[in-house]
Amino acid sequence: MSPRLSNQLAHTSSCSIWSFRHAIYRQVPVRTFGIRSLNPPKTSRFDVGPGLPVLKSSPTAALERKANTLPLRTGAIAIKKGMTGMYDAKSGKRIACTVLQLDRLEVVSHKTLQKHGYFAVQMGAGWRRATNLTKSLLGHFSANGVSPKRHVYEFRVKDESGLLPVGQAVNADWFKVGQYVDARSNSKGKGFAGVMKRHGFGGQDRSHGVSLTHRSLGSAGPSQGGGSRVYPGKKMAGNMGNEQNTIQNLEILQVDQVNGIVVVNGSISGPKGCVVRIQDALKKPWPRVAPVSKSS
Amino acid sequence: MANSSSILQQLGCFRSLVSRPNTMLQTPSVAGRRMLSTVWSAKPKPVPLPKELPEQFLAQLPHRMRPELAPKKRKIPRPPPGPACKDPVGEVVQRQLKKLDPFGKRRELFDYRRHARSVKPGDIIRVTFKNGDPFSGVVLSIKLRGVDTSVLLRNQLTRVGVEMSVKVYSPNVESVEIVQRTEKRKRRARLYYLRQPRHDIGSVENIVTKYLRQKRALTGGVKSNKKR
Repeated sequence: MSPRLSNQLAHTSSCSIWSFRHAIYRQVPVRTFGIRSLNPPKTSRFDVGPGLPVLKSSPTAALERKANTLPLRTGAIAIKKGMTGMYDAKSGKRIACTVLQLDRLEVVSHKTLQKHGYFAVQMGAGWRRATNLTKSLLGHFSANGVSPKRHVYEFRVKDESGLLPVGQAVNADWFKVGQYVDARSNSKGKGFAGVMKRHGFGGQDRSHGVSLTHRSLGSAGPSQGGGSRVYPGKKMAGNMGNEQNTIQNLEILQVDQVNGIVVVNGSISGPKGCVVRIQDALKKPWPRVAPVSKSS
Repeated sequence: MANSSSILQQLGCFRSLVSRPNTMLQTPSVAGRRMLSTVWSAKPKPVPLPKELPEQFLAQLPHRMRPELAPKKRKIPRPPPGPACKDPVGEVVQRQLKKLDPFGKRRELFDYRRHARSVKPGDIIRVTFKNGDPFSGVVLSIKLRGVDTSVLLRNQLTRVGVEMSVKVYSPNVESVEIVQRTEKRKRRARLYYLRQPRHDIGSVENIVTKYLRQKRALTGGVKSNKKR
């Protein structure tokens, strides 16, 4: 969608050609995608010059800052199927593990520095009836030559070398046994929960004159000395769970390419059947793999 | 003033009452009074656009009917075939079991619902581990959970009740022997009542030592474990 001219501009159309063009440059907003500063720096002649540091508030500078903490390759969208146990080969100890499955995972599109301000791979998983999709999404999928997907997520990567070709399928063998991943998913929703369950408050006495407030919070804040108000961020009852949670450094225990199964050490937030996004662990060395695997 | 107006109003009402029969006569019949919109009429058949419409008339057509602005047909790729495995957890469990129990012996020994000669609640069994002492006790319950199948054993050590849950498929479990079967089939699957003092069997040490002595006599003093 092209930016609309404002009403003010419409009135100036009767002015001379020069003033009209000038008005356009002033009025039309500069479209920036992705990373955008809330307080954009105002260019001042005192800011730039020899011997002065280059300002670090541009998308390029932001990308440079994140260079060490962005994965080299994309992650995967998986479905949590359940948990089971395994026995460690050496110690014979039981390890709890989570079973994930990849379902028709394909690259849908790219986000690039030139166009969007950052590099990312948009992945899609599952399938969806074309009649159930909006026209805009349908156009997005068909333009990229990918079948309509149920789940679409982005995975940020460091640079162009991490951008897999659009339409390429990613299988379970994308991950190697023994490597570490970060898994992010939405936790189980608990609904409207009281302070004891939500924040671990102690509650109040069973007796000693307490009536009807055994599980409620005590005071919400100090009196006149503290400003006679409830401070922002006061822990109170409210909606609990169903918020994104990342679990870092989970080891990959098993990989089954035929069935798309990835078995991960430990537990992952969320109920069975929830969407889990797994990507190479940030706090471990990047896994050694071929730049782009040829398998489809 | 107010008096006269009220009188006039009444008169007006009276006049309307009087005039009503007149209007009734003038109204047409019920069928004729139907609203125009409810009358059924056939759906007009769409008139096809004249071919070779002059270009100056194209602007009058709605967008979808104009040849150059008509919506394009989208080509939507078909989804690739989904994963064949519908029960990934079961698949992983089966693969584990095949590795841990290749001949299905352990499964036969503990799947008490399907195998008559298996361990049953109430039996006394002796479990030897790869590392550590053997443990023997009464089977309180058998939890059949795939790889996580476990047996709860109860015994008394130094007159203190001790319970131990043994993962059946664990590679640390070297062998399992049935020391004594229950005389009578227990009518419960979980014998948690054995924890009550009046039902507690107590130490099974005597029974186990007797069994071991018998076994040693039969096998000719060679120390070996019946592995199942």
